[in-house]
Amino acid sequence: MNLFRLAFLNATRNRTRSLLTAGIIVGGTALFIIAMSWLDGVWGQILEEGTLQGGHIEVVTPEYRARASLRPQDENIDDLAPVLDALRSHEGVVEAHPIIETGATLTVGEEIGDIFGAVMGAEERYFTEYMDVDSKLVEGRWLKEGAGELVLGWKLAQRTGAKLGDEVVLLGVTQDGSMSPSKGTLVGIARSGSPLIDRRVFVDLAAAQWSLDLEGGAMKVLVWGEDREEVDELHASVAALPALAGLDVGSWKTLPPWGGQLGMMDAIRFVLMFMIAFLAGLGVWNTMMMSVLERTNEIGVLRAMGMTRAGAVFLFLFEGVAIAILGGIGGVIAGVLPTLYMSKNGFSYPESMMAKMEFALPTTLYAELSSEIVALAFMTAIFTAVIGTMLPALRAATIQPDSAMRRN
Amino acid sequence: MMNRTTLTLLAALLATPLVAPPPASAEDAPAAAPAEEMTVQQILDAIDANMVFESRTTKIKMTVEGKKRTRTFEMISYGRGKDDSAMEYVTPAREKGTKMLKLGDDMWMYLPSVDRTQKISGHMLRKGMMGSDLSYDDMMTTEQMAQMYTPTLLGSEDIDGRPAWKIELVANDESVAYPKRLQWVDKELFIPVQQELFALSGMKLKSWRMGKIKEFEGGRQFPTWMEIVDEVKSDSKTTLEFGEMTFGVELESEIFSQRWLERK
Repeated sequence: MNLFRLAFLNATRNRTRSLLTAGIIVGGTALFIIAMSWLDGVWGQILEEGTLQGGHIEVVTPEYRARASLRPQDENIDDLAPVLDALRSHEGVVEAHPIIETGATLTVGEEIGDIFGAVMGAEERYFTEYMDVDSKLVEGRWLKEGAGELVLGWKLAQRTGAKLGDEVVLLGVTQDGSMSPSKGTLVGIARSGSPLIDRRVFVDLAAAQWSLDLEGGAMKVLVWGEDREEVDELHASVAALPALAGLDVGSWKTLPPWGGQLGMMDAIRFVLMFMIAFLAGLGVWNTMMMSVLERTNEIGVLRAMGMTRAGAVFLFLFEGVAIAILGGIGGVIAGVLPTLYMSKNGFSYPESMMAKMEFALPTTLYAELSSEIVALAFMTAIFTAVIGTMLPALRAATIQPDSAMRRN
Repeated sequence: MMNRTTLTLLAALLATPLVAPPPASAEDAPAAAPAEEMTVQQILDAIDANMVFESRTTKIKMTVEGKKRTRTFEMISYGRGKDDSAMEYVTPAREKGTKMLKLGDDMWMYLPSVDRTQKISGHMLRKGMMGSDLSYDDMMTTEQMAQMYTPTLLGSEDIDGRPAWKIELVANDESVAYPKRLQWVDKELFIPVQQELFALSGMKLKSWRMGKIKEFEGGRQFPTWMEIVDEVKSDSKTTLEFGEMTFGVELESEIFSQRWLERK
């Protein structure tokens, strides 16, 4: 008990130094909370949007998977119906949607031009509920299935000069490589800042199937479960469906673009956490070491009066932890307040920054504050203080009473 | 003369009349010299006598065997003079009414489903026509391209049990689609029965085989079957079968106009 009292008194003896130490802890803890909340928030949004648009599970042919980055037009699921039936009736599957992605040159007017657009064909619900393209319409309305209508990204509309009501001619290729001309009436123009919307042509699934000469087929089927984080079990059960025999079933956790990045994000989190803790620990060590050096005589006297080595260690440890608790509380307040603000109001960035993204991300990003981050930050503050204090405390324990008292 | 050699193959492919001045008939072929003593030029003249014509119509059945499925197209082809040819797709329903027109070095394609005419040029010329092993460029080969090749008689080989000359054609201008060609020409019928096309790197791009040679009016020999394999594509083969072939017919001049392309 005396050690605690003595440690507390020591902490208040040199208030400037103690405040400096606490300030380092406050800064480190606050930075930890802000950085981790931003990282979790932005990464969470990326994952949410990415898996919302790209599905939790992707079903393709093995040949398509082998060349997936090239989006081969000739490696398709030819008979879609049994695959969709099996998936849509499978327990745990929330929705399954067939997708066709191809390319075509666009023409408005008589002369066939050379403006290239990425054509996407899917069922309406995928476009409206998962890609959310309809909410990004800046002109017109969403297309009606089977009506020969299409929606253009605004960049394509701008380049072709297409206006609502114009007949847009698409010149693509079939899965066999034949020229594949088709046309549709422009009923909407969508804009998001992402090329995935701004440079795309949206058509209904039947039109895309016709364009690719793939009646009743699709390039891939995207599947969503209840929770993307719990995809492993669903992935295993879907892969075992007899109707999917011979097809390649992959989960977002293993497929590009997320597969290789989950481990990387964990590494980034660890490095960030380590750097903040290291800098804070260095600060604590520095001030505690100064404290030990200043109080060498005093420690010598205490040791001569019977204080054990362990007592000397604990004296400084208690002092460090006491400062860390105060600094940690201050850091939590200093970190939580701005994070709360940013989790409600977010940070907006220009659309142009999305130009090279592989998916349509919202232009406002939000921090995501969680009790886990706050607890981790506080615990890290204490841990850092213990580590930072340990060396000076061990040094204090090695002080010999006689030599310490002879210094003055 | 070199240009005639190259064009004979294209004539068989497209039913396109290819070389001016008006071609010799089979009777004019320089067949007097014994086959083994003929020069490469005489061989090419003999081929021209068979393959070159003033006008022709034919039905073409094109079968494209792909990796997953086989597709069959039927076309009616018209050829007139040195530069002009026209073709209309009859089946399948998806392609019905699609027309192609070649006037000199220019080629257009009419796409009935969108009622538009597409000029075929640039990189599109080397793409597979209807996904076949036959490119638009193969169809566009003209006298100018043919003049870029220098022939060399390499010797004789048996093809399907028949004696044939092996002729190498090397392009003087390396920018052509096929800088080197090897041809095997039947010694008795004066018809190229096999051809291999190479890139500048030496990689084989295409292999052609021609057969079912029939005798037509005036003693003209002509292949009515052709198989083309694009060696760069995998698991693909295109077969052309020529039926109801008529030479020297009177053709409407409107066929060789852009007005014909869009005529319903």
